[in-house]
Amino acid sequence: MSDALENLLKNPRIWRGQAQAKGAGWEGLASGYPKLDQHLPGGGWPQHALTEIFLDHYGTGELQLLMPALAGLSQPREDREAGWITWIAPPFDPYPPALSQWGVNLARILIVRPKQPQDVLWAAEQALSSGNCAAVLLWSGELDDTASRRLQLAAETGQSWAIAFRSLQAISQPSAAALRIRVTAGETGTDLGILKSRGGRPAVVRDYAG
Amino acid sequence: MSSRKPPAALREASPTPSLKSKSKRARLHSSPEQLSLVPTASVDLPSTRLPVIALRQLWLGAYLPLLSLEALVQSSEPAAVFEEQHGIRKILLGNAAAHAAGISPGLSINAALALIPTVQLEERNLAREARVLKDLAEWSEEFTAFTSIEAPSLLLLEIAGSQKLFGGIKPLRKRIVHGFKSQGFHVAIAIAPTPLAATWLAKAGRKVCIRDARNLVGKLGPLPISCLDWPDKVCQSLRGMGVNSIGEALRLPRQGFAKRFGASRLLEFDRATGCMPDPRVNYRGPEHFVADYDLNEEESDAALILNICQKLLAQLEHFLLTRQLAVQHVEFIFFHLQEPATHLSLGCVQADRVAQHWFDLLEIKFDCMNLSAPIIAIQLCGGHGQRFDAETSALPFNREKPQRYNTSMAHLAERLSARIGEEAVHGVMMVAEHRPQYAWRYREAFSDVPKCASTSFYSRSFDTSGIDTPELLADIRRTNSLVLRRPLWMLQAPEPLLTDDNRPCYQGVLLLLDGPERLETGWWDSEGIARDYFVAKTPQGVNLWIYRDRGKNRNASWYLHGMFG
Repeated sequence: MSDALENLLKNPRIWRGQAQAKGAGWEGLASGYPKLDQHLPGGGWPQHALTEIFLDHYGTGELQLLMPALAGLSQPREDREAGWITWIAPPFDPYPPALSQWGVNLARILIVRPKQPQDVLWAAEQALSSGNCAAVLLWSGELDDTASRRLQLAAETGQSWAIAFRSLQAISQPSAAALRIRVTAGETGTDLGILKSRGGRPAVVRDYAG
Repeated sequence: MSSRKPPAALREASPTPSLKSKSKRARLHSSPEQLSLVPTASVDLPSTRLPVIALRQLWLGAYLPLLSLEALVQSSEPAAVFEEQHGIRKILLGNAAAHAAGISPGLSINAALALIPTVQLEERNLAREARVLKDLAEWSEEFTAFTSIEAPSLLLLEIAGSQKLFGGIKPLRKRIVHGFKSQGFHVAIAIAPTPLAATWLAKAGRKVCIRDARNLVGKLGPLPISCLDWPDKVCQSLRGMGVNSIGEALRLPRQGFAKRFGASRLLEFDRATGCMPDPRVNYRGPEHFVADYDLNEEESDAALILNICQKLLAQLEHFLLTRQLAVQHVEFIFFHLQEPATHLSLGCVQADRVAQHWFDLLEIKFDCMNLSAPIIAIQLCGGHGQRFDAETSALPFNREKPQRYNTSMAHLAERLSARIGEEAVHGVMMVAEHRPQYAWRYREAFSDVPKCASTSFYSRSFDTSGIDTPELLADIRRTNSLVLRRPLWMLQAPEPLLTDDNRPCYQGVLLLLDGPERLETGWWDSEGIARDYFVAKTPQGVNLWIYRDRGKNRNASWYLHGMFG
């Protein structure tokens, strides 16, 4: 094959089937939900990238979706220390007894409540690029294309997992996120719609916890 | 100081010519054989001489011959310091450039200006000299635990204990000389077992290192009596007796010497030669760091001001480093000419001393701060010093993964709280308490976590370190269903719910899935509760945690308290 074609095929916008794409995706962090994992390219969450989660109402099941992975990150392992999980501008109080029930290490939780909306993104960028946080969760109303690109870059530099919670209205905006997931309440449980996953394809997961 | 003639000071600054002149003079008055050989035994000691006591100290005398100039001016352009004597302003000292142009000590300033019109002339400032000497004494604490200030221009460092650490006397001496040089000070250094001998040798510009106290008499012998800093009258009378060097003075009969010149001068000789102990006062630096910087004119350029602050922080770092301390708070005070001073205090989660960390915090805060007026002076006050516990860290080649999560996480928290406020950054902890709203509280992000009692019935945590397998997950879920369900989202205050035909509503009529779970009392404080908690589902499919208040009024009312998220 010519070099030009090789280069063209390296472009991430060109999709060449699941088998090829596996290598180009990410090394997944097991989400704890087998139904979801089988639809994610690396078999789990993208670890050093931005994930966007779209939802209509808080409490639809967006936190339960993340809990097993966050619990794993916050506990010490043989090959690494316990990771910090930073919550930036959460809409309510994350309830420690429930977090503890899920196995999250409370000593590794940092909650930041910026007063100015623009400080949310600043704090998120600081936390992500510092290289100290295993995961950074942020709730921000304004997250445009540039901001998502910056968060994505910061996540890559700091080897951190950025999770942005956004409203369903923002779903049509372009974004640099590696993974975009829509969380909606279904008849039996919570349904997930994978809108974009780098190296994977869109999918719908019904009642992911079931 | 006034007794010493200014020309002598300059002569001593350049050791080579002074050595020559002194040895010439010495040769006139003492036999040349004695000088050239300098053997200890050959010096004829009076029989009444005291024996040398065992000395374990080694003193490094650092003499700063040009201190009065270097404390004020540090430039390569012609510059000189003048002093007023009997109403005439005369040059005291000039730097090399001034000297080359012919400005010599003792010249009147008019003559100096006639030689070089652009020469920088400064009036001698004794207070400033004393301060510089103190600063240097503080700096020298890097090399020794014992520094003594010998006013007006000499430092004594006890280095017997420091030799091993610095790899011997030579490297230590080299480092000290280099240190003085890099700070812009000329220095003459001599090492001897007694402080007085080190003082005299340094002042005479002898670059010697004497380790054995028995050699002292031989080495001190050739020094001229002008090194002694004795009053002119005493020196004159000694010279009148034909005594020009210390060796000659030592040979005088002790009784007669004491009678003629005072017992204290004899004691000085005994101390210098190591026959009598010579206790010194250890200089202790101030406990709190305060440094300031005066600008030549008002400035409002942020980059320049930050640059000065960085220098002040570097001084703070050195101050703390030499004391093995760290501080949790520092305060910058920016002075303005017209307005009252602006204060800017910085706080750290953990006591810190690295200048760069403080500077990072300063940059963030400085950006948010609006200065009311240009700045004329900056002061940095270091807070209360705390003991610094150094951490063990991995060797550099094992740095693939960030190892020190805690320390650098603290820095992140500091940066965040510097910009958005300390109260906006916190951690969480559980409290052993059955009432849901009291079962947890915020804690300072990096304070020591008080271990919450594990008997609390919520706090059964699961080891999820190997959560990758579905079996384990299923296990967790099974265990989860056994303990009481708690919502991940908690409202800051319970929100009253509307009711429709006694059924609670939230975005529609709620469907009760689970409950009631009755939580009651709190009679030990005034916050007693009587609630039945339910898990409810909205028509949109959101799981809520609601309760019915069974309080005093029988009309039960519904509240939303959390969401299962």
